[in-house]
Amino acid sequence: MNIPIFGGYQEDLWPQAFADTDVELAPASATPNPAKVGSASVRIEGVVKRHGTTTVLHGIDLQIAPGEFFVLLGPSGSGKTTTLRILAGLESVSAGHVYMDGGDVTTKEPGVRDVAMVFQSYALYPHMTVEQNIGFPLKMVGTAKEVIGRSVDRAAAMVGIAHLLQRTPGQLSGGQQQRVALARAIVRQPRLFLLDEPLSNLDAKLRLETRVELKRLQRSLGVTTVYVTHDQEEAMTLADRIAVFMDGRIVQVGSPRQIFAKPLSIDVASFIGSPPMNLLVGEWEGHAVTVGGSTVAVAVESAQSRDVVVGVRPSDLRLADGGLRARVEGVEHLGDNVIVDLVVDERLVKLKTDRAPVLREGEPVFVAFAPEDAHLFDAESGVRIA
Amino acid sequence: MTTIAAPPRSGRTVALYALAGAVLAVWAFPVVWGLLTSFKTERDVLAYPPVWIFTPTLVNYRDVLFGASSIVPNLFSSLVVASFATALTLVFGIPAAYAMARLRFPAKRTAGFYVLATQMLPPVGLIIPYYLALQKVGGLDTYAGLVVIDLTFSLPFAIWLLVSYFEDVPVEMEEAALLDRAGRLRALWHVILPQVRGGIAVTTIFVFLNAWNEFMFAVVLGGNRVRPVTVAMFNFISVEQTQWARLAAGAMLAMAPVILLGLFAQRHIVKGLTVGAVKGGGRR
Amino acid sequence: MHAGRTFEQQERSFALALLVPALAVLVVTTTAPLVYLGWSSLHRIDLGMPWLSGFAGADNFAKMGSDPRFWNSLLLTAIYTATTVVLQVAVGLALALLVLQIPKGQGLLRVAAILPIVLAPVVVGLFWRTLVLAPDVGLVDMVTRALGLGSHNWLGDPQLALISVIAIHTWQWTPFAFLVLLATLSTLPPDVYEAARLDRADAWQRFRHLTLPLIRPAVVMVVILRTMTALSAFAAIFAATGGGPGSATEILNLYAYRTSFSELNLGYGASLAVVLLAITMAISYAMFRLRRARR
Repeated sequence: MNIPIFGGYQEDLWPQAFADTDVELAPASATPNPAKVGSASVRIEGVVKRHGTTTVLHGIDLQIAPGEFFVLLGPSGSGKTTTLRILAGLESVSAGHVYMDGGDVTTKEPGVRDVAMVFQSYALYPHMTVEQNIGFPLKMVGTAKEVIGRSVDRAAAMVGIAHLLQRTPGQLSGGQQQRVALARAIVRQPRLFLLDEPLSNLDAKLRLETRVELKRLQRSLGVTTVYVTHDQEEAMTLADRIAVFMDGRIVQVGSPRQIFAKPLSIDVASFIGSPPMNLLVGEWEGHAVTVGGSTVAVAVESAQSRDVVVGVRPSDLRLADGGLRARVEGVEHLGDNVIVDLVVDERLVKLKTDRAPVLREGEPVFVAFAPEDAHLFDAESGVRIA
Repeated sequence: MTTIAAPPRSGRTVALYALAGAVLAVWAFPVVWGLLTSFKTERDVLAYPPVWIFTPTLVNYRDVLFGASSIVPNLFSSLVVASFATALTLVFGIPAAYAMARLRFPAKRTAGFYVLATQMLPPVGLIIPYYLALQKVGGLDTYAGLVVIDLTFSLPFAIWLLVSYFEDVPVEMEEAALLDRAGRLRALWHVILPQVRGGIAVTTIFVFLNAWNEFMFAVVLGGNRVRPVTVAMFNFISVEQTQWARLAAGAMLAMAPVILLGLFAQRHIVKGLTVGAVKGGGRR
Repeated sequence: MHAGRTFEQQERSFALALLVPALAVLVVTTTAPLVYLGWSSLHRIDLGMPWLSGFAGADNFAKMGSDPRFWNSLLLTAIYTATTVVLQVAVGLALALLVLQIPKGQGLLRVAAILPIVLAPVVVGLFWRTLVLAPDVGLVDMVTRALGLGSHNWLGDPQLALISVIAIHTWQWTPFAFLVLLATLSTLPPDVYEAARLDRADAWQRFRHLTLPLIRPAVVMVVILRTMTALSAFAAIFAATGGGPGSATEILNLYAYRTSFSELNLGYGASLAVVLLAITMAISYAMFRLRRARR
């Protein structure tokens, strides 16, 4: 199935896992949208954040281009939300600087940064109507009433809630509330747009639909956007570029394609992709890697024998007549795909294919992969070698 | 409503309703009895067996309101003292509670502990120094004196109660307001305060109630000019005789505001009591 | 570390601006008077015989040790506090448990429960003194006469007086315990009880092992609050008996008051107040520690 999400990405690099986003957007270039006037460039330099004796961020460096949809991705507690809040001005830094459009905003109040944020809980003002909620930021800076009225109407129309203006948040569904939060953020045309896991409170179907709309909205507004999520699928579909966070550090920055194709560490490799990349321990010498007695060919050569972790994506594995010895544990039929659970060298390995194989539990088989599909990581540090 | 016991059989239900009725009678009877008595003549009051059917008369209310020992000035005193005490408590207490609930600043725990400790003071501990001090500066028998000492007890209580309401407001609400360029003060006014409206109402009710019902301070620090109704009750009792019916009428008038407040705001009061008791004051 | 200080500083100054007025009020209205109280307790201040006033050091406290009225007041305070609190909690809990089973009756009872609580204690005391406990014409006497138990001087008889004031206090504040416990019991999860029923626990066992532990925090809080009220009880007793007959109902609070404002011996009254203050502080400290330990 060839579902181009963003034109320009090739099918073989785009696993079927993301095929359920069954929508075709206007083909986008691989570079970020040309920025509209008023969207900021963001630079974070050496930001460290400490809470008492615990260090939450160990020196973060980022550069975000104007108009870019930039995603902060990582597991819970990895520091991505803290970084977002630092951008918003809701948290202070223990060291380092934050620049927007070249100006140092590190110590500036949230209100003066011209930044808008959509919170995970939406943080709508329950005692105000939708119209008042959306108009609030304009009211706070003394905008004239007619201007507020027009801006609110325009923002509401953009997210499709023009008919709900007189309701209060308590009378809205989760999806509608989220749109109000969005409208409130875009009504003032900020130079930076921050989103903190805005889709996590929605049910799965709504999440997918809203994801598409979010991307479309950002493209039409052209505003620099920083988006936090722990859902790697969301990150891969929405981002122009992703920064992967682990334990308070950024371990990789790149486009979704780059990160998928070349994860720089075991952590990143096992985080991206659904199901995650299979990781096996083995010895690498010459053009071959030996795993649990069996040997397979890899594309890169090693002069000396060294311990490595070999990563292969489930979709890159196939059943073969030779290769790694494996034992079938089970087969999961997912509808369009089949996932075969195997044991290789006493580790659980998953194989993904769209053709249902006929297999019995416990059956010994061989699995193989193309040499260039192997990702090699140093066994000790977890860092990518090739 | 959840019932945690096994569903009762009907005989048991009847017994329970009977018990509930008895309890209701026990709790409500002073007000009811007082009301009845206030409409009786003195003679009817002292009749034995008690007279249930009688010709009601307004003579007691007339005497109590317009007679020589009218309690109208006392009602006025109570109103002034209670209103000012309540207003001042809110003016000082609301910002303080917000600061305690939300903001980070040095010595926060100490401040919290201090507020809690002042709540534990027995009133008699303060009445003596107040009396001595006010006596020296001629502050006895003034509204200000009573209002200030009422404040000593209402303020920590109000802060304690309001803090739990402020803590219920999600932090993101304020952050959103800050990002919406409201500034801290306007964020408090436009966004936070509307959400603790219920808590403020409960606090107002309790503070007013306590100030209105206050007795010891009133009797010691008040005088001829400033004499709240609680003290005026004793006008109707002397060594020689008790003016029963008038006392009842006076008491009814004196308690009318708080009873009406209690009945109308009953839900709020119950919520306030339970919030205070269950959430606890030893959290900081 | 330049970065970040402005942000936190701003928050700090805002917080202090909000808090300082209230704290200032509290310091002026409580701490300063308390210091003055302590100072007064070290003096002899006699408004009736001013020529006797002067510094007395620890005399007042020494006098207390051999003052039988003082020890009497301590004993009465202990009895009064313990009895009223226990009664309130026991009756309040029992009522709440029973009323839980008749959901329709709860609403009405909750409204009725408000009435004793909102009445001024002084009015309650007067009311009971006149309409309820007065010999011959009072309600209680009418009942006892009708039952053939005769007429009694409920407030004039030393032994009966203590019982009477305890009854008054309990009457007024039991509804508080009732309301709080009823609300707490209403929020207990029913599925835990269903599981217990399936585990063949009978009503008493369910009460002992499920209900009691689950409502413990609320009960503790009620006990703390009611104890504080009992220790500083004044108006109702004053109105009903004035502390008498003699000193039969003179809890420490009342003793301090009477000494100061009836006998105009403010120095000694101040020292009594100091003792009461110390007792109150000690008890509340102990109770809060207990509460924390239980968590």
